[in-house]
Amino acid sequence: MSRVSLLLLIAVMVSALYLVRTQYESRSLTTEIDRATSLARNLETENDRLDVERRAQATPLRVEKLAREQLHMRTITPAITQYATVPGGAAASVPASAEVRP
Amino acid sequence: MSSRSVQYTSSPLLASKTPIWRSQFIVAVIAAGFLGLVARAAYVQVIDNAFFKRQGTVRFVRTLDLPANRGRILDRHGNILASSVPVPSIWANPEDIERDPAKLKALAKLLGMNPADLDKKLQDEDKTFVWLKRQVDESVAKDIAALKIKGVYDRKEYKRIYPEGESVAHVVGFTNVENLGQEGVELTFNKALGGKAGSRRVIKDRLGRVVEDIGEMVPPLDGEDLQLSIDSKVQYFAYEKIKESVVTNKAVAGSVVVLDIKTGEVLALVNYPSYSPGKRGSLSGAQLRNRALTDTFEPGSTMKPLVVGLALEKGIVKPETLIQTAPGKLQMGTATITDAHPHGVLSVNEVIQKSSNVGTVKIAMQMQPHDMWEVFTQVGLGQKPQVPFPGAVAGKVRAYKTWRPIEQATMSYGYGLSTSLFQLAQAYTVFAHDGEMVPMSLVKTNQAQVNGARVFSSQNAAAIRNMLHMVTIQGGTAPKAQTMGYSVGGKTGTAHKVEGKGYASKKYRGFFVGIAPIDNPRIVVAVMVDEPTNGAYFGGDVAAPVFSQTVQQTLRMMGVQPDMAVKPQVVTKVEKESF
Repeated sequence: MSRVSLLLLIAVMVSALYLVRTQYESRSLTTEIDRATSLARNLETENDRLDVERRAQATPLRVEKLAREQLHMRTITPAITQYATVPGGAAASVPASAEVRP
Repeated sequence: MSSRSVQYTSSPLLASKTPIWRSQFIVAVIAAGFLGLVARAAYVQVIDNAFFKRQGTVRFVRTLDLPANRGRILDRHGNILASSVPVPSIWANPEDIERDPAKLKALAKLLGMNPADLDKKLQDEDKTFVWLKRQVDESVAKDIAALKIKGVYDRKEYKRIYPEGESVAHVVGFTNVENLGQEGVELTFNKALGGKAGSRRVIKDRLGRVVEDIGEMVPPLDGEDLQLSIDSKVQYFAYEKIKESVVTNKAVAGSVVVLDIKTGEVLALVNYPSYSPGKRGSLSGAQLRNRALTDTFEPGSTMKPLVVGLALEKGIVKPETLIQTAPGKLQMGTATITDAHPHGVLSVNEVIQKSSNVGTVKIAMQMQPHDMWEVFTQVGLGQKPQVPFPGAVAGKVRAYKTWRPIEQATMSYGYGLSTSLFQLAQAYTVFAHDGEMVPMSLVKTNQAQVNGARVFSSQNAAAIRNMLHMVTIQGGTAPKAQTMGYSVGGKTGTAHKVEGKGYASKKYRGFFVGIAPIDNPRIVVAVMVDEPTNGAYFGGDVAAPVFSQTVQQTLRMMGVQPDMAVKPQVVTKVEKESF
């Protein structure tokens, strides 16, 4: 009888210690998950921020300014555009590469 | 000597018998001690359990807010018009802030504040939290962190960024510091864009790390992205052109509306003066107003095609019917209706082309007020446009029963009723879309073709388009509306501005509504210039050029092939002749 009790007591002790260990592990894993999640979120917002920045560099205002001032380009008109029609009747307006008099 | 044996057992000390009560007392005390423990355990675990649980919770359990990302606003091609990015906000704990005057002075400088104002914010030492400045630049936050002032912290907040700036400001609107929409579609679609914040309950350890989740997590519902029908390139171009026109004509303001009549989408909705949504330091109401939707005016001559359209529909006239407009005056009761120039006999086509008031009135007076009212209503005048926009107005068309004959006459050439520029543009979709009134959308629809409610027959719509085309050619009122390569048609309007109860003598509004290409229409463009004061004020002079440039660029960007022959300036390579 007493041997059985002793065995059970040891079993309980082992199980209790194991529980403590498991709980500890679970908590550190939760911390890990939490850190990874917030990292993911940070990266996402960083991505959003960079998207906006990229767009800010390519707004029509900036593109037009650079095209005019640095590249000396001008707005195209139908007079300096060659329209090519795709054979087969599809009405397409593909500006052909045309040499343009400055 | 007698040895006296000691009888230890009989030692009086030992002999004194321990009273039994003493041991019983000890047992009782120990028992009482145990009982006390049991009672305490019962108290802690059963009776006052809630209190202790709460105390434990207060120490370790935290409810974390999971903020939802506000959705982005995109243009029709997916370009970002508005997006939220995290930016630092600076806060302080007045209770334990380090009050070093030199450091605080440097802090105030970085925050762009007066040192006195900063002191005022930090005055109340009972507070543990006070915002110093919300949404500062990343570099400023870094500099502040470098000062290493105890009790000054930063925290990430979301800020709305508007990369396109002024040109789309009125359409997109803006949010306040709490990320709630205040103007434009930011306000109208605030709920959908905002999403729903979630929450989770967790146990944190003493280092503040999350170690365990308690209960169920409510995940945040991110706001939906909103894709508008606006084309940011067309929008930008139109904005630049109207800005140019307002500046050269020394006008107060101007607006442009560009509608795609095939899909029923708004491609551009522009107003000048505008503002930069990111820098709203000193905003005036004049800058904020989305004039194309909130300002109404008398549409003037732009109503004439509607009246003539109705007359064609009713079989009252034909495009070639001749009408005597001499001597350029028409007496109606006590009022006189006049033309700018006397024209003599004009065909109906020419009545529109030359914008003759007398001719239009002569046609209009053969119709019932009810019929005219019905057409005005069918094309959306006097009704709030179905665009999701705060502050869009309905304009005014009075009930036909109250019309006196003179009023019916003046309404036929656009006085006595009012409309916004957007409504005017939408009304012209009737001519552009083969007689159908097209419902307009500010949100991308993804449909290739839209159908509307029929107002005129397709044949009559084409006849009116022809008249509108005549307006823009030699002999019309707006040759400046012509473009290179694309045939256009439209109608000018010039109206005296209403001031108080009457018309201001020298304040005008010039506008132009038109369609292009005229035979196979794709877009309707309406332009309005408010109070031009640099000499020219006719719609044909101040608004038509903006129309022309906007049409040309918009159609090019849409990939529409020119329908008119253009004298090419393209230099082709010439093969050298061989001898």
